[in-house]
Amino acid sequence: MIGAVHSQLGPFHAPHVDWKGMSPLLSVLGGSAAVLIAGLFPGRRTQRVVVPVLAIAALIAAIGLTVWIWEPGGVRPIVAGALSVDTLALGVSVLFYVAGIATILLSLRSAVVRECGAGEYASLLLGSIGGMVLLAGAQNLVTIFIGLELLSIPLYILCGSRVRQEHSLEAGLKYLIVGSVGSATLLYGLALLYGATGSTSLSVIGHAVGTRVPLDDPLVLTGVALAATGLAFKASIAPFHTWTPDVYQGAPTPVTTFMAVATKAAAFAILLRLFDEGLISDRTNWGPALAALAVASIVIGNAGAIGQRSMKRLLAWSGVAQAGYILAGVVVGTRLGIQTSAFYLAIYLPMNVAAFAVVIARMRVSERGDDMAALEGLGRSSPWLAWPMTIAMLALAGFPATAGFIGKFYLIDATVAGGYAWLGVAIVIGSMISLVYYLRVIAVMWMSPSEVEVPAPAPARASPSRRVRSVAGWSPEADVRAQPEVAFVAIACAAATVFFGIVPEPLLHLAREVGSAISSAL
Amino acid sequence: MGIAWFLALSAFIFCIGAGGVITRRNPLVILLCLELMLNAGNLALLSFSRMVGNRDGQVFALIVMVVAACEVVVGLGLIVAMYRRRLPIDVDEVSELRG
Amino acid sequence: MSVPLSVTIFLPLAAGLAGAVLPRGWARWTVLAAALAVLGIAIWMVADYPAGGAGLRDLTNQQWIPELGIRYSLGVDGLNVFLIALTALLWVAATAAACFREWDRPRLFYFHMALAETAVLGAFCAQDLALFVFFFDLMLVPFYFLIGSWGGRQRVRATTKLVIYTLVGSLLMLAGAVALGVLATPAGGHVSFALPVLAHRLVGKGTQEWIFLLFAAAFLVKAPAFPFHGWMPDAYRAAPIPVLVVFSAVLSKVGMYGFLRIVVPLLPQAAQHYQTLMIVIAVVSILYGSALAFSQDDARLVVGYSSVAQLGFILLGIFALDVEGKGAQGAVLQMVNHGLVVAPLFLIIWALSARAGGSESLGRMGGVAFRAPALAGLFLIVALATLAMPGSANFVGELLILFGTFSTKLAFGLVASAGVALAAVYMIRMYQRSMHNRVGAAVESRDVTRGELVTIAPLVAVIVALGVYPHFVVARTERSTVRQERPAASLEHASETGGQASVPPAGTAELGPLGRAP
Repeated sequence: MIGAVHSQLGPFHAPHVDWKGMSPLLSVLGGSAAVLIAGLFPGRRTQRVVVPVLAIAALIAAIGLTVWIWEPGGVRPIVAGALSVDTLALGVSVLFYVAGIATILLSLRSAVVRECGAGEYASLLLGSIGGMVLLAGAQNLVTIFIGLELLSIPLYILCGSRVRQEHSLEAGLKYLIVGSVGSATLLYGLALLYGATGSTSLSVIGHAVGTRVPLDDPLVLTGVALAATGLAFKASIAPFHTWTPDVYQGAPTPVTTFMAVATKAAAFAILLRLFDEGLISDRTNWGPALAALAVASIVIGNAGAIGQRSMKRLLAWSGVAQAGYILAGVVVGTRLGIQTSAFYLAIYLPMNVAAFAVVIARMRVSERGDDMAALEGLGRSSPWLAWPMTIAMLALAGFPATAGFIGKFYLIDATVAGGYAWLGVAIVIGSMISLVYYLRVIAVMWMSPSEVEVPAPAPARASPSRRVRSVAGWSPEADVRAQPEVAFVAIACAAATVFFGIVPEPLLHLAREVGSAISSAL
Repeated sequence: MGIAWFLALSAFIFCIGAGGVITRRNPLVILLCLELMLNAGNLALLSFSRMVGNRDGQVFALIVMVVAACEVVVGLGLIVAMYRRRLPIDVDEVSELRG
Repeated sequence: MSVPLSVTIFLPLAAGLAGAVLPRGWARWTVLAAALAVLGIAIWMVADYPAGGAGLRDLTNQQWIPELGIRYSLGVDGLNVFLIALTALLWVAATAAACFREWDRPRLFYFHMALAETAVLGAFCAQDLALFVFFFDLMLVPFYFLIGSWGGRQRVRATTKLVIYTLVGSLLMLAGAVALGVLATPAGGHVSFALPVLAHRLVGKGTQEWIFLLFAAAFLVKAPAFPFHGWMPDAYRAAPIPVLVVFSAVLSKVGMYGFLRIVVPLLPQAAQHYQTLMIVIAVVSILYGSALAFSQDDARLVVGYSSVAQLGFILLGIFALDVEGKGAQGAVLQMVNHGLVVAPLFLIIWALSARAGGSESLGRMGGVAFRAPALAGLFLIVALATLAMPGSANFVGELLILFGTFSTKLAFGLVASAGVALAAVYMIRMYQRSMHNRVGAAVESRDVTRGELVTIAPLVAVIVALGVYPHFVVARTERSTVRQERPAASLEHASETGGQASVPPAGTAELGPLGRAP
């Protein structure tokens, strides 16, 4: 029968698909389907145990498969012309998987899982990770767009997944609107690039710009500007960051954690891919513009964080500033710059996850939610939470013996070597401003609360974000023991932050292999 | 008619969409405007596709339509959920989270 | 046979970590034992150091982060051997002083004390610019916690101010250090931050000048020198005394040491270019510090502002840039001397405030000497050493500094000599007010307790010993110090004679294992 059809239709050339190279993606998407089905079975055990275990297993399998196909230097097309894996794609995808595992662990006892169903929650999360992996390996404008939407749409739903909470729904809607504006802008930019070069393939575009198509072709320039704007929305680069604090605060905190680290990594992966690989020849045109965006992010992010009391908002603003630092590596456009961005993205993950894990732990037991006051006296009452937060804050501020110091060092190194010394100075100045709010968090935890000058309390909420349970007779020791997985995530991330601050060599080596993926870099 | 006309129309639609997203308050209208922005992109893709003579742009446009549908579904879902919570359907009043 | 430097540096940290997991009461003894062990090693190091020696000893030189060209390289030479000994000695004194008190959360307190010692020792030993920056910034973390958690009134405000001031400087220095390493790399070469390598790869004059300003900002804030001392009064008022002892006596020296170890040899042309600016800062610091020390009522601030003046002297010596290196030698000697007098001064203030009903105001002290002759005697020796009485090592140090300055910048030297006289005024005022005036209302005098004696007397003994034989220090620091200054000083010489002298790089002598770029 099939033979008959074949003879009728004539010869057919299937696109080349490298299943081995695609295996991590298949593992994630397969996991997404599996947890969705598993979540349909009733019973507490399924919801509480089977679904998270399945999801984590899928992610761990993806990490294992990534290590298996890791091959420095080579680009391996996995779906002809659309998708390929190289060390950049694989390297950042490991970050997505790790962030996914952390998110699932952090949301084990979260109300969001109960409200929207464990299966759906994990499935959406894995789907979003699948989109990120697709985005990181995209070789084609169409794949970029599909990847971006596959990562965004599940996140819109996840943001709004606490359907009984106004904040959550509002955050979801807001993120949807702003995210879609970003997508539409990116799409328009991609369309113009396609029009200018006649191809949707990144490599063809890269070759065409500067040879067939003049560098200052208006279509290319407008296209690049619109694409950069669209991606800046996703990476929360100022001035396209205005949604970030609201959405971060309104979304369920585990989802916020995921957005803060994974979405940012995905957005930067594609920024690196698009600008430092596809459009590197046009660097004289986009370099100064992106540099201006980086400086704006650093200044606006740090200035915005100073007045925040809410930890989630503070971390959102600090994330805007950190996005500016990472963007500096993209701007430089040298191989060193790419390595720097990759390295910073990698260390950004443990620093932020540690901080968010502590916030989650406190939000569940404290009546003050994510307010800074919920951290008061934490150094005395539960040092196992206070230390990870302290290390995270010191690392974000760039103190030595944490990965943040090495990251800053590396960034300044790359900017100076790449001829953007003034951008290095901007990073330094941004770090100075950031001390004010990072140190305040530490002071609230360790030093007497009455002495710390914090911003005035926010106006009272219509409905304060009431947490899982307010424990009567709650003791700080029980606080950690009652949610060991959150403490575990916090401590593991803090330990990684310190470890990579003292022994950064393995990570730097990986960053170099990631950088080797982009052969066109200067 | 040259391609410039098509591009001008597409840019016009894009601007209408962007302007609507910025100025309108009703989330339903905002969703409509988002669709306009995406469809402006589609129009540009299709006209470029005819200009350069390959079909990549048309395939791209088809995919964009699918994606746009997904976004609207999620958006409408969220709006319905908010309506059922009796929240104000006006983004100005949806202001508890303000930057 | 000597102990590896890494052991010396990380022994306190190991003890601090051990103390943090051991039962509550053990922390203090673990950390004190480690501090004593480090002191033992340091004494051995000094005793073992040959008079007239110059080269780096006890080298540790390993790859740390080859990707970034950062090496883990440590070494001791005449320049830092006494500063290491000073650090070790004062940490023993401060830890011992702390041990006689009960502290809230003792394990954390002693952990931070130990971490601070490790960081300071690391900064003194580092022979790689990036490693120096690493330890230099790390020093701040424990002091942030120590002042913020165990300090007096307004402590959080004070410690935040302190950290922001100093870290602004440090971050500028970080940028400067990276820029220096990257820009000094010849085309096709590997980036290296090793100090001997950088001494050979001097960058152009214009580059030197802006990098100089970045480094100077960090070191002057740390000192603190005149326009950058804004954090000092608050931090000094808030810090607990044992912390203040090491903070004031040792940390300020790290900045000055940075000038000698890094700025002058690596940026000789810039050092020459900004010589006048730095000397003006030094002289203004001397006069301003002395004047304010005279008008303070808080005993801590008298010592604090006197430190500003004393560090002005040290800065003056470093930037005298005379060919014979007298100014720099005096500066090194004076760093040791100042550390040795400031520490017992703060301990004595602690003892006095215990007798004056907890007040540290000079107005409420007075008349203590009558019932506390031994304490008065100790105070007198320290006070006389501080005001550079002939016969004290401080006298020799200040004299060397002034000689060095006279030979290059006579006018500034003359103005600075006024500072010597002013020191006498404010120290004698402080001594009289606290010891001899009318008995204060709340004063209940008694002589030194055993705890006070154990911590103060050894320091006074060292002051006396150095006063008797200052040559012990000078002979061992001379060659290393002069070598650091040679490139910049010979530039001066060249410009005076109108010729173009070739700049001999600092630290040529020990280009052995460090000299090779990785």
